[in-house]
Amino acid sequence: MKKLFKLFAIMGLTATVMSTPSQAVTPKRVQISGEIIDTWCYVTEIMFAEGTAHHQCAIWCAVGGIPVSIKAKDGTVYMVLRVDGDDTSVANPKIVKIQSHNVTVDGDHYVRDGVNYLIVNKVATDKGIINMTHDEYGVVPFGE
Amino acid sequence: MIKKLFMTASILTASAVVANAASEWGIDHEKKTRVEVKVVDLLCEITGNCAAECGKGKRQLGFLFDDGKLVPAVKNQEPFAGATNDLIKFCNKRIVADGLMISNPKMPLFAVQFTRLAPDGKWSRANQFGKDWSKANGGKKSGQWFRQDPRIKKTIKEQGVFGIPGLKPES
Repeated sequence: MKKLFKLFAIMGLTATVMSTPSQAVTPKRVQISGEIIDTWCYVTEIMFAEGTAHHQCAIWCAVGGIPVSIKAKDGTVYMVLRVDGDDTSVANPKIVKIQSHNVTVDGDHYVRDGVNYLIVNKVATDKGIINMTHDEYGVVPFGE
Repeated sequence: MIKKLFMTASILTASAVVANAASEWGIDHEKKTRVEVKVVDLLCEITGNCAAECGKGKRQLGFLFDDGKLVPAVKNQEPFAGATNDLIKFCNKRIVADGLMISNPKMPLFAVQFTRLAPDGKWSRANQFGKDWSKANGGKKSGQWFRQDPRIKKTIKEQGVFGIPGLKPES
């Protein structure tokens, strides 16, 4: 009997470990306003990566499957994993279409290991592109 | 004879390892990293919203380290391309990833340069996006895929390079 209990205890523990591979993260309901950006170019700073100047490159990267983020007014970068009930976060045509736009979104915010993840439940407002950076930077990269 | 063979094999193995070692890209906070990790669907890992086969290439993927740390794997070796096409076949499997860990305070990211199934699978260069793109586009060379992609051409035609119809670069 004792042996059986130990066996069940071990099996139970194994089941628990296998069914909970992730750490529990509690979301926070938020409204974020900011610019839709390409995560790679902006975070790594390999080039200037905001507004009109970087719009074409942001399209390239989004279609290429690099995650899209929203840079909020306070500078926080939120990686978008879901939009309007659509789980597609690789080259999602809806997101590609509004690259570089200034938007306000309602969503669920998760933080894990230094990354802000955002589930966008609704794009509340879309002001289009308002960050006119091309006068200073031209077309980034390559100037064409 | 056996000793010579062993030495040759060792040298070849060492060369293979060197050939598949990550290169530095000169990015702030980058560190060449080779690590054994589990490939996971980020949306599933973060929210519990899971899909079959990690979303079959439609969802962003990440690396779950043995200490529980989760890092988005966002880039492969090709211009303007992510890592999903390289990693999707490893969904929920352990791999050895070789690339750049970018520990930027804005957010940590991983740029994947080579992968292999753990512990001793065959190394692959992280350039699957170009292969898949070429196949989907009539065998065109993928070197400058971003200038030929029909989705991009359509979007830029509609929006212009600055994203505002009618606004054009000065010639």
